[in-house]
Amino acid sequence: MLPIPLSWWLTVSAALFSIGVFGALSRRNAIGILMGIELVLNAVNVNLVAFWRYVIPANVEGQIFALIVISVAAAEAAVGLAIVIAVYRRRHSAAVEELDILKH
Amino acid sequence: MDALRLLTPEITITIFAFAIISLDIAWNDENKSRRILPWLAFAGGLATLLMIFYIWPHVDQYNYTAATDAGREVPMLAVDRMSLFFKMIAVLTVILVGLSAGEYVEKHTPFRGEFYGLMLLAGLSIMLLVSSTNLIMIYLALEFLSITSYILTGFLRRDARSIEAALKYFLYGALASGVMLYGFSLLYGATGSVDLATIAGSLETTQAGLVVAAVILMLAGFGFKIALVPFHQWSPDAYEGAPTPITAFLSVGPKAAGLAVLIRVMVVALPAFDVNWTPILSLVAIFTMSVGNLVALWQTNMKRMLAYSSIAQAGYMLVGLAAWSAAPPSAVAYLGGVDAIMLFLLAYMFTNLGVFAIAIILENQMGTSEIADYAGLIRRSPYLSVALLIFFLSLVGIPPTSGFIGKLFVFGAAVNQGLYVLALFGVFNSVISVAYYFGVLRNVFFEKGSDESPIRVGVAMNTVVTITVVMTLLIALYGQPFIQLAADSAQILAANF
Amino acid sequence: MPIDYLPILIMLLVAIVMAVVSLAMPHMLGPKIFNKAKQETIESGKLNYGDARRRVPVQYYMVAMLFILFDVEVLFLYPYAVLFWDLKWFGLVQAGIFVLLLVESYVYVWKKGVLNWE
Repeated sequence: MLPIPLSWWLTVSAALFSIGVFGALSRRNAIGILMGIELVLNAVNVNLVAFWRYVIPANVEGQIFALIVISVAAAEAAVGLAIVIAVYRRRHSAAVEELDILKH
Repeated sequence: MDALRLLTPEITITIFAFAIISLDIAWNDENKSRRILPWLAFAGGLATLLMIFYIWPHVDQYNYTAATDAGREVPMLAVDRMSLFFKMIAVLTVILVGLSAGEYVEKHTPFRGEFYGLMLLAGLSIMLLVSSTNLIMIYLALEFLSITSYILTGFLRRDARSIEAALKYFLYGALASGVMLYGFSLLYGATGSVDLATIAGSLETTQAGLVVAAVILMLAGFGFKIALVPFHQWSPDAYEGAPTPITAFLSVGPKAAGLAVLIRVMVVALPAFDVNWTPILSLVAIFTMSVGNLVALWQTNMKRMLAYSSIAQAGYMLVGLAAWSAAPPSAVAYLGGVDAIMLFLLAYMFTNLGVFAIAIILENQMGTSEIADYAGLIRRSPYLSVALLIFFLSLVGIPPTSGFIGKLFVFGAAVNQGLYVLALFGVFNSVISVAYYFGVLRNVFFEKGSDESPIRVGVAMNTVVTITVVMTLLIALYGQPFIQLAADSAQILAANF
Repeated sequence: MPIDYLPILIMLLVAIVMAVVSLAMPHMLGPKIFNKAKQETIESGKLNYGDARRRVPVQYYMVAMLFILFDVEVLFLYPYAVLFWDLKWFGLVQAGIFVLLLVESYVYVWKKGVLNWE
């Protein structure tokens, strides 16, 4: 029997998810928002691996899914950072509230 | 016909995309042969389209049953009529956008190989997304599409507007896909599978609370791609700042892809799940139509106005899905309403790409896309003015244009299922939309512009405008084959391979 | 049984005593001479310069991002390695295509001059 119940993992992951979403919504710096999004993705990974281990250990779909999430997150972060660098070169700031050329 | 042959369209487009990128790095900037890259992309699009037509007659013989056992086989893609139809839409979009982008790209960026390579790859990502039958594949294809869209939106990296649009699109998009993914993980935990058909099988026995939470989070992700209210805030900014050909692409490609995956998830995975989707979908449709149309009234920039207009158009498409969900779940796959969406989408694609082709021509010449600068267009180019009139008639839904047929079918499907209020909202919204489309036309036909020099239109541009005008009229005047095509295409498979 | 954990407790105590003694002994017995070189932060034998809070050239981020990307993509070779014999030639071809695409992107990065520092 697994010593830690599934619900603990899910609680950790839900907390990570909430912190991530809160960070993404409240941060003013684009890098900060990106960090919040990474937390959300890590919450997903905790969920996936925990569900795999506790619900369907015979089927490795959850593990594979987590691997794919990790690599896609890296690609996404790379593109995001590249865009942030491009913005920074133009505006000398990565604060999102200063992005106001396009009308609201 | 073995499994690999069913994937020839995807393989073709991948080979062309990588050929373009390889040739681009092999030839240096001064090399004259680089001029063939756009035509290589065009050839790639045509070849892919041919492959789709080549597979078309063969798909229904290969209705593999889903591998639902918990073995090693995890079905990932379904090549069915619906996915082929959406692939056709994706490839046509890439071809038409690629053709109309030529001069714009030449003018604004030195990175031509990357532009066309990424366009083809964006087409590939849509093709993968519309046939995904598996949460992993849906996520992978959706992110593929998102990442290529972010790059293309910020393609003019020296232009502050373009990169600002890209950053906004990216931040919204990354958060939306993270939230959607959390929904995926909950659904995986609740049902123990990532395969849509298996999920459908085990939904009856799982806790409803977890699944409801999962589905709501997933809808946020799909809604973001389609730009449904309340997940639409990114789209006006992204549309306005992106290079105009990319705006044209964003207004059709990701919308079609998001809609396809939403339809597939609703039809394959969720029917067994006992929730009445009709009120939810109807409400989202009503809000999407109304917000899109009402905010469009105040816009002074063509691209921004078209952004809101395409939000509203997505709302009309959702009416078809609401109609599907209202039907009694009798047969294995009753898809009334879905064929209406497909017909509407076909009409919308030609019409919207036509409008954007005109916007690109005018931007190339005048450097802006403010509606005020469209004044006196009738003197400068009668052909483009008349074409614009036809496109706007089609977007409003006035006969004899394809938009009318599309709306007739979508609202007809709603009325058939007794959703009178929804259909009424749709018609009412179409009436509102007259105001802003005709605001542009008033400028074009009746105002006097400061500049009277004639607009010159290149061969490629002329081709695009002519094709879109002809198709916009043809779908209305000789509609039977297209209606038949849409009806045939409403056929969904749980999984192939 | 709690008694089973006794060796761990003893181990813990020994570790604590060792740490305290080895830190306290030189402090009490050794000579105390301070000079500038001794006060500096240890930097693996290199001379220190500047502050930690300064701008890093953007090239650094480019290389770092590329490193992460290629590093993570190689992750997919692990499951393939586990199933290497089962997948036979078909798997080898697939993995070959995968590596080919990685090589293509590497060549792209190289040709575009991202790896040049100046």
